[in-house]
Amino acid sequence: MQLNPSEISDLIKKKIENFDLSSEAHTEGTVVSVSDGIVRVHGLSDAMQGEMLEFPGNTFGMALNLERDSVGVVILGSYQHISEGDTVKCTGRILEVPVGEALLGRVVDALGNPIDGKGVIDSSETSPIEKIAPGVIARQSVDQPVQLGLKSIDAMIPVGRGQRELIIGDRQTGKTAIAIDAIINQKGTGIKCIYVAIGQKRSSIANVVRKLEEHGAMEHTIIVAASASESAAMQFIAPYTGCSMGEFFRDRGEDALIIYDDLTKQAWAYRQVSLLLRRPPGREAYPGDVFYLHSRLLERASRINADEVEKLTGGRVKGKTGSLTALPIIETQGGDVSAFVPTNVISITDGQIFLESSLFNSGIRPAVNAGLSVSRVGGAAQTKIIKKLGGGTRLDLAQYRELAAFAQFASDLDESTRKQIERGQRVTELMKQNQYSPMSVAQMSVSLYAANEGFLDGIEVNKVLDFEAALHLYMKSEHSELMERINATGDFSNEIKQDMQTAIENFMKSHSW
Amino acid sequence: MSELATLARPYASAVFKRAKETGSTEQWSERLAFMSAVLNDGDISTLLDNPKVSKQDALGLILDICQEYVDEEGSNFLKLLVHNNRLTLISTIFNLFETYKADHEGYVDVEVTTAYEFSEEAKLNFAATLEKTLSKKIHMNVILDKSLIGGVLVRAGDRVIDRSIRGQLQHMQKTLQ
Repeated sequence: MQLNPSEISDLIKKKIENFDLSSEAHTEGTVVSVSDGIVRVHGLSDAMQGEMLEFPGNTFGMALNLERDSVGVVILGSYQHISEGDTVKCTGRILEVPVGEALLGRVVDALGNPIDGKGVIDSSETSPIEKIAPGVIARQSVDQPVQLGLKSIDAMIPVGRGQRELIIGDRQTGKTAIAIDAIINQKGTGIKCIYVAIGQKRSSIANVVRKLEEHGAMEHTIIVAASASESAAMQFIAPYTGCSMGEFFRDRGEDALIIYDDLTKQAWAYRQVSLLLRRPPGREAYPGDVFYLHSRLLERASRINADEVEKLTGGRVKGKTGSLTALPIIETQGGDVSAFVPTNVISITDGQIFLESSLFNSGIRPAVNAGLSVSRVGGAAQTKIIKKLGGGTRLDLAQYRELAAFAQFASDLDESTRKQIERGQRVTELMKQNQYSPMSVAQMSVSLYAANEGFLDGIEVNKVLDFEAALHLYMKSEHSELMERINATGDFSNEIKQDMQTAIENFMKSHSW
Repeated sequence: MSELATLARPYASAVFKRAKETGSTEQWSERLAFMSAVLNDGDISTLLDNPKVSKQDALGLILDICQEYVDEEGSNFLKLLVHNNRLTLISTIFNLFETYKADHEGYVDVEVTTAYEFSEEAKLNFAATLEKTLSKKIHMNVILDKSLIGGVLVRAGDRVIDRSIRGQLQHMQKTLQ
């Protein structure tokens, strides 16, 4: 962004006008020691927990340990220039970040500073990063869906607005891919997305940004990046930063989706900070409050009722509920879900999408393990038509899993078992989906209907996806009105059923796959 | 510094309690000031750090130096410090003692930095205002510092009230960045 000279002087004039000349009373302390980003400060007798402290050189820190004679502070950013004896000032504010619409389409660091080279972010509003989650009275149950655009997930593990659904799996199982598809699929739905990248390579973050830009999904997305090269403190606060940005939309009666990629690394960063602050280590050397670290974060993802929205907006928004849906990601080591952090987050969230490397390697992508994945509240939010048609999918796959071991004796099996195995194989095949190609509700319904009604049974397993692609193309060109109707209402009436049946029957006659 | 305070706290509070009992806080304050001055002296501290000098010799030396200023209890205190190997804490103990004393007597030490010298009257006025603001009696110590350009900078313990031109310029610099 280019600033012309008049703009600059105007800016300065405005700032001087608003400049507060009142005497500055504050509390000061002196730096006693600096080590690995942790500073001990003597003095600061009235510092608050989580308060922003100002160091020389426009550097800020966050007070984390308040002890009798000293305050333990983590430096947010570089700490090389801070030395013993430096003066530290209290700011009287809990750590705050900018929030608002202006952040959409931008990449920011954990403090909300832009890092995408697109100039200053014009947002006057700020919000503290640590807030108490909405209370019981303010909440409403989850009953609207968030379409992730992935057949296997929307059909079997539905996610509702305000839900917390964990994406868990080993490295290289497509966790981020699901998240990115989810963001892309929110285009045009009004759901704002926040992608929080914690401890990732900068190149991976750049890739995500590029992919989102390619698919036109950056306009409704904020990316909060605390890459691996940033200090542990920044990685630790990044999820809270993103959450505050999401809450801005929730509290205005809008819907937002936040992805924490991933919380394992945040727990590592917090462990580092805690150990350096000399807090006693517990299991796996995590501090005692690592559960609270994640529970207080995920509890903020919620759906709030219209009354609360009205109260929070001062009456400007009426009759609209707000929601913040969270998709935290946890990386397991060797599929071990019983490690400390995975069990914690599994117990906090409203269900999990379990990804397996064996499935991924055998070509089933998204590598969702349908048996272990659950959604505890999403069922109530699922689109009616998907709920109706997808119900059978889960059953087909469950039966198939039981019988899959016998698949090699196909010739010796009775008719019904063989049929079940064949159905299972086809449904498994149908659940595969390419990356960056989320599907609409209508497309999913058609695919699921075809599977349920046995249209796939006569098709070779390796042709199933071709069949599906051709079917979608056909439906789009010949029955676009029907598809639009399904997308608009999401209902499954007899009439729609009849129309789909005839359409697919007509398509079957063409043999064009 | 913080760890030293933790170690020094029991000594300081013990000394203060004893001083209060005997009603000799002023004397103790002087004693501790003298001791800390002696022990902070470069030569003395080098000597004490020398492993060849035994505890007894060191104690004898210090007691000799402090003789005139230190009474029975004072020398007992010094012996205790030597015995526990805590001689180096003496200045921290002195500082803590002074805080306890100030707390007890209900005043704060205030350091006022000004750009221009106060007139006596202005000084009294200012002291009265400060006492009201801090709601405590104050012991004012005025320092002259031209680099403030104008105004005053008040420092009372951790609290800093910056009404200097320099402070405002710095604040403005930050805002305009």
